Amino acid sequence: MNNRNDHKANLLLVDDEDGFRTTIAKRLGKRGFVPMQAVSGESCLDVMARNPVDVVVLDVKMPGMSGMDTLKAIKQSYQKVQVILLTGNVAVSDGIQGIKFGAFDYLTKPVEIDHLVNKINQAFEMTRLEEEKQKELVYRARLEKKMVDTERLVSLGTLSTGIAHEINNPLAIINESAGFMQQVINSPEMSGFAQKEALLMGIGKIEKSVKRARRITHQLLGHVKKQDTQFSEVHLAALLSETLGLLKKELEDKQITIDWKIDKAKNKLWSDPYQIRQVLMNLLNNAVHAVKKNGAITLTTCETDDAVTLEIKDNGIGIAKENLGRIFDPFFTTKTFDEGTGLGLFVVHKILSGLNGQIKVESTLGEGSAFMIKLPKNGR
Amino acid sequence: MMIKIPAKVLIVDDEKDFVEMFSLRLEKQGEKVSTAHSGREALEVLEHEPIDVVILDIRMPGMDGIDTLRQIKKRYPIVEVILLTGHGSTETAVEGMKLGAFDYLMKPADFEEIKIKLENARKRKDEQEERIRQAEVRLLIRRSGDI
Repeated sequence: MNNRNDHKANLLLVDDEDGFRTTIAKRLGKRGFVPMQAVSGESCLDVMARNPVDVVVLDVKMPGMSGMDTLKAIKQSYQKVQVILLTGNVAVSDGIQGIKFGAFDYLTKPVEIDHLVNKINQAFEMTRLEEEKQKELVYRARLEKKMVDTERLVSLGTLSTGIAHEINNPLAIINESAGFMQQVINSPEMSGFAQKEALLMGIGKIEKSVKRARRITHQLLGHVKKQDTQFSEVHLAALLSETLGLLKKELEDKQITIDWKIDKAKNKLWSDPYQIRQVLMNLLNNAVHAVKKNGAITLTTCETDDAVTLEIKDNGIGIAKENLGRIFDPFFTTKTFDEGTGLGLFVVHKILSGLNGQIKVESTLGEGSAFMIKLPKNGR
Repeated sequence: MMIKIPAKVLIVDDEKDFVEMFSLRLEKQGEKVSTAHSGREALEVLEHEPIDVVILDIRMPGMDGIDTLRQIKKRYPIVEVILLTGHGSTETAVEGMKLGAFDYLMKPADFEEIKIKLENARKRKDEQEERIRQAEVRLLIRRSGDI
């Protein structure tokens, strides 16, 4: 094992006997370790509070705060720190007790320096492994969350389209019934009926509500995966122009600047133009809604051998941090019901999953949002 | 104002409440309405009654809308069919139009939209019948000229 190791790991040596401690420190120094030193349990904790420490070599028998109490205190506040105990040779039970309390190992005095160095190296190795394990855990948790998120959205999608479909039929009945009542009330023989206006108002509200519900069900169903998705060559720039054309009125009303940073000849891919148009429509629509008068929307693409990434960036209101995790959820919206159904981004997410694409978002409240969509060039 | 000539409409949907209210509404509008609750029933009605336009639900148990459409177009090619879909996928509707349906509507449909499509479908049928009649006349004239 390489003793003159270059790891910057931090070692702390705790012993109340100055002579012993300095000797050990010097010897360790020769082997590449430069330990911090502490003369008591209290000062050990004090050093640890102010310095990063990975491994503590701790004498058990000390006046004041005992080694065992110090160990407990360390393990309580610094779970990741490894502690090597130094015990008197008649007190092996102390060492075993210490391991029970979470010590890495124990050595009996007098200490063989090579033996100690060996143990210290093992303890460092242990902290490194623990750290890796921790990282791995965090990574796994993140990955799992992402998978759960995706699965959740997919099953929500299936469920919601099913419900939307079933709701359309009763909606149609309500609609026709209300419409018929309206016709009857408006007929000449009802002209003398005193409550006519009140009835018509009630029917008007039914019809308005049916329209509102219909907007939701139709939007939910609008992206149902077509049985035969037609793949063809898609010119991203052309699709963008086309979609912006549909938003012409809104763009002009708000006098929005479109900043093209796209090579119009490039960015061709093999995919479903109808679904991509739907994605662009929803994202651009959101951007238009987000900006104030004279706002700007920047369109940037980046092309690699197998994928095209498009960024749609606005300098609008941005998304609050606490909402970022929910924007792809169905029915999540910060708009009123006549401004948005809360399905736009949900649909975008669903379409992109179906096309083997990805979506990412960056946003700062008050500064704007950027949505990045990545699509494979060959559809897979 | 022109006097409205009623269109002879057949509504086909397994949702009985929908058929009932929709037909009341169309009747109030001045159309002559027949109803059926399945594809088979629809074909029976067509056999006995002259119909201009069929408004046909795509999703029905048993013989579905598309099958019914095929049968209608096979037996009564000039009867116009408007498809009704509660389903989001417009693909089936498009497939239906390739099979000869005049147009489609998404449930719940806007009545104004229904009126316009119904009127246009009826017009197309009338025009088609007129062309057939003229062609028959020409045929008759040519035949008599041959003699």
